[in-house]
Amino acid sequence: MDEEGLIYFAMCGVFVFLLIIFSSSFGGVTGIICLMIAVFALIGLCMMNWADFILFPFLTSIFNVTFQPAKGYRIPPKQDAIVKNVGGLFYATGFLTASLLAYTFKEEGVQDNEDQQLMNAPERWERAIAALNFAFKFHVLSAGRDVQKVREEIEGKRSYQEFQLSRAQQNTGTTDTVITEINRKINVIQSRMDRISRGEKPIAALMYMETTAFGVSEKAALDALGGQMRQLQVAFSSFDISLQRIVGRELYMLFKFNFMLPTTLEEMSTSFDSQG
Amino acid sequence: MEKKLIIFVSLIGASFAMLILAVSIPKGILFAPFKILIVLIAAILDIAALSSRYYLYIIQPIAQQRKRYIVLSDENPYHLSPTGDSILRKEGEEYIAMAYVSIPVYRSASEMSPEEKVAFATQISLLTTILKNPVRYSTEMYVMNKDNYIATLRDAVDKAEDEQVKLTQAKAEGKKVERVRGQLTMWRNMLEAVSSSPSFELVTYASVSAKGYKEYEAVASVQQRAGELIAGIGSVLGVTPVVVTGEDLLKFVEPEYLIPYSTISEEINENLMKEGGF
Repeated sequence: MDEEGLIYFAMCGVFVFLLIIFSSSFGGVTGIICLMIAVFALIGLCMMNWADFILFPFLTSIFNVTFQPAKGYRIPPKQDAIVKNVGGLFYATGFLTASLLAYTFKEEGVQDNEDQQLMNAPERWERAIAALNFAFKFHVLSAGRDVQKVREEIEGKRSYQEFQLSRAQQNTGTTDTVITEINRKINVIQSRMDRISRGEKPIAALMYMETTAFGVSEKAALDALGGQMRQLQVAFSSFDISLQRIVGRELYMLFKFNFMLPTTLEEMSTSFDSQG
Repeated sequence: MEKKLIIFVSLIGASFAMLILAVSIPKGILFAPFKILIVLIAAILDIAALSSRYYLYIIQPIAQQRKRYIVLSDENPYHLSPTGDSILRKEGEEYIAMAYVSIPVYRSASEMSPEEKVAFATQISLLTTILKNPVRYSTEMYVMNKDNYIATLRDAVDKAEDEQVKLTQAKAEGKKVERVRGQLTMWRNMLEAVSSSPSFELVTYASVSAKGYKEYEAVASVQQRAGELIAGIGSVLGVTPVVVTGEDLLKFVEPEYLIPYSTISEEINENLMKEGGF
């Protein structure tokens, strides 16, 4: 959760806190009912904050609400696709999370097989694509981060780990496993520092897949889309990455990305924090 | 103050005001239902306040339209810039222009040595650091538009059929009729082979956006970023990227250009025949 999200959540949480306090002063049945409302409000806030991508499509499905994000397009109640009707032919577009960070960038973890993994990546990619016989897109949205800020952030993390290490070494009851784990973390942080020192720019990246299916009816297009999504999940399963279908507001955001991208890193990071 | 913030403050303020109102209602069985109702409304307003952070684009139209079909926008999602090299969208008072840069990469992993493969993966990671602003790199597999080719084949089939009819009516020599029949079979087979399954093409491109208070400002700004991107990609990959213009932009944006209708019409017919049990 970012700073803005934290402020929003804290402000709304204060309301629930006050409601709980006041409910006890109401007394009797009224107090119990108000306390129950407070509990439901707290659950609602938590759901809205951390699982809105489950709650929102659930509500629109129950009430059968359809959205029109732009002229000629519609988002069905399940909120899992964008449908366009072109002269009686329906095109359904869906999105999948697909973070291939470990394959496209030198991984943060200090792994022995890192080069081997990078070496195999282009071939695996081609093999996965060759297995597909439908239209799809793979997107990497990246933005540069402030080098100084990232450096300070990493230095802070390293100092904390070093403090943990010295404390663990002073403590006689600490096992070797704990010390090895802290050392591993320090190595990972150090390797990130080294990369920045070598001139590599830190970035924030977002990766996702998009596929479009067609059909003579909306249902046919959506069914075909579901099939294509499953095929994509199978084709890219060899990469050992999480391929989840994107639903809800993030689907709407990604739809808009074909016409306008975020222009700053802040815009990019505040749009996504639930899925992927 | 930002609109989103105003709505949040209004909603959270209303929820607190309702809570104070509920507290100020005197105790007693007569007032209890009012108290519970006010607390319930306050709790709903509190949740709505948190939702307004992400769902403002929906909350407002839902409140205004109160229907099951909610129109978030009734305008085209974009329009092409007069220069034909960017697509434009109006968001509030600002225009956001987006440019697409085609990256001609035709290398295959099967032709690379192990060192080249690692170098290629490193080049890809370098690409993402070219600009500080967000840049989207995409690989797109789309259905080739074979409309013109199919139309030419259909014309050839029609022509051969006409010729066959003419020759048969004129009771021409058997050899001539056989030759035209052969041609007709050839064109028909070719048409069937071309239109029965779609052909795919793989393209790589980058896209970038920029804002401006005037259309031309946004377009100029995005074209400048596209220029920087082209220079960066060119130096990293050693290729010559170009800004995509005109109708070519549409295959990155519109689904009907990603999968052209007439190219897939045969496939649709086949599916319908199968579904119908013909």
